[in-house]
Amino acid sequence: MDGNGSAEGSSATGAVGGIDLSRFDDPTAVDLTGQVHQLPCCIKYDGPSPVSHYFKPKSTGIEVDGLKIEEAYFRGRKLQGTTIPLPQGYSGFVIGKKSLGKGKAPDQSEEISNSWEMNAKFQSITFWNHDSLPSHDDAFVRSFHWLSVAKALHQPVTPEDLESASNSQQSK
Amino acid sequence: MQSMESEVAVPKWASEPCIMGIDEAGRGPVLGPMVYGCLYCAVSYQKTLSSLNFADSKTLKEEKREELFENLKTDESIGWEVDVIDPRELSAKMLKKNKINLNEISHESAMGLVKRVVNLGVLLTEVYVDTVGDPEKYRIKLFERFPGIKFVVAKKADSLYPVVSGASIVAKVTRDRAVRDWVLDETAENMHRNFGSGYPGDPGTKSWLEHHKHHVFGFPTLVRFSWGTCTPYFKDIVEVLWESDKTDEDASSTRGSKRQLTLSSVGFAGLKRKSEEIESSGKGRCKFFQSRKLEQISHF
Repeated sequence: MDGNGSAEGSSATGAVGGIDLSRFDDPTAVDLTGQVHQLPCCIKYDGPSPVSHYFKPKSTGIEVDGLKIEEAYFRGRKLQGTTIPLPQGYSGFVIGKKSLGKGKAPDQSEEISNSWEMNAKFQSITFWNHDSLPSHDDAFVRSFHWLSVAKALHQPVTPEDLESASNSQQSK
Repeated sequence: MQSMESEVAVPKWASEPCIMGIDEAGRGPVLGPMVYGCLYCAVSYQKTLSSLNFADSKTLKEEKREELFENLKTDESIGWEVDVIDPRELSAKMLKKNKINLNEISHESAMGLVKRVVNLGVLLTEVYVDTVGDPEKYRIKLFERFPGIKFVVAKKADSLYPVVSGASIVAKVTRDRAVRDWVLDETAENMHRNFGSGYPGDPGTKSWLEHHKHHVFGFPTLVRFSWGTCTPYFKDIVEVLWESDKTDEDASSTRGSKRQLTLSSVGFAGLKRKSEEIESSGKGRCKFFQSRKLEQISHF
């Protein structure tokens, strides 16, 4: 659920942090694929909730632009959503503050620490609209464009790339 | 919407001039479906219909209503239809971005029934309709949609016209059965189905609501979230902010005050900040990111 956990930075703004994803290949790691929902509202709550007992998405059998439309209700509102797989090579993570070893003063060090670890992973996400069919024009779907843009921007340039680029320049 | 039909083939008498009555059941309750029912017969059968002792369904005992419903179902000179409007649909329509009020939903349902019966090939000449709203405005609306039919719209039509009394029995029995056989969609433990009549004043309904309130989900979807009855129960549950509600602030004063009730704890300044949390302004961000609602986070 869209917990909106705005963990506004503790005072350690300058501190170096990291995210420990070493449990990614651990078969016992929690896989939330198919259970992660992005809702079109802000729920002022952060914590566990019996989501699957109350939130019951149903397939509509309708497909729009290749998106399979699902339907669900939350707080009396009708939501229309679709499940999209995360692109190849990417994963979603639920992360939590890294728990430091026992014995150390936990309160202080944990607060300052900017070290995180993976609590769960997921390979798909279901996003929901209020009163409108999900489509490829939705900001959420479009946000994935960044991944290919980022790839192009950050890919190291090889000598071959340079050569072909200058060749095409000359041929003009 | 679900529909049930009484006849498969159109009876012979349907090509004679026919009258029809339309009535609703379950408009007031905070839970369960609202049902629109209609009953029709040939004008020539009207006298016999009056002798069938259909009274306004509310004045009859449940067993009597059930009995009358079973009788009219076997009466070959009578046709009937119902439109069952799911509580999820009621809540969703009333809480849409462009809200549809209960009167509109009711009118659409009634007109849907007229259309369905006309499409069956029944020669409707007069239709009697019960209403809670302004009868004359409603009559004009109906007449504009179905110019060939004479509409009689009246408050308490269910006690004035036998054909409407009959329709009220169809609607009431269908609604009662739907509530009685309701299967809760939610699978949380400790839920039960003793919801009482669903009327806000019913102690059974009150205690059911109190017991089935959930701090995140509100209520099971059997409940009509858009009903004012829910408001006091929502006062101390988790706040949920919707984009579509933001524009409500400067809407009509009645709606404005309703909203303030649910947001009373945060005050205006707090509300503004929280609205921004739903969607940050994106000021100063490259258009590519802005339109995709992407933001760089370096610390969380």
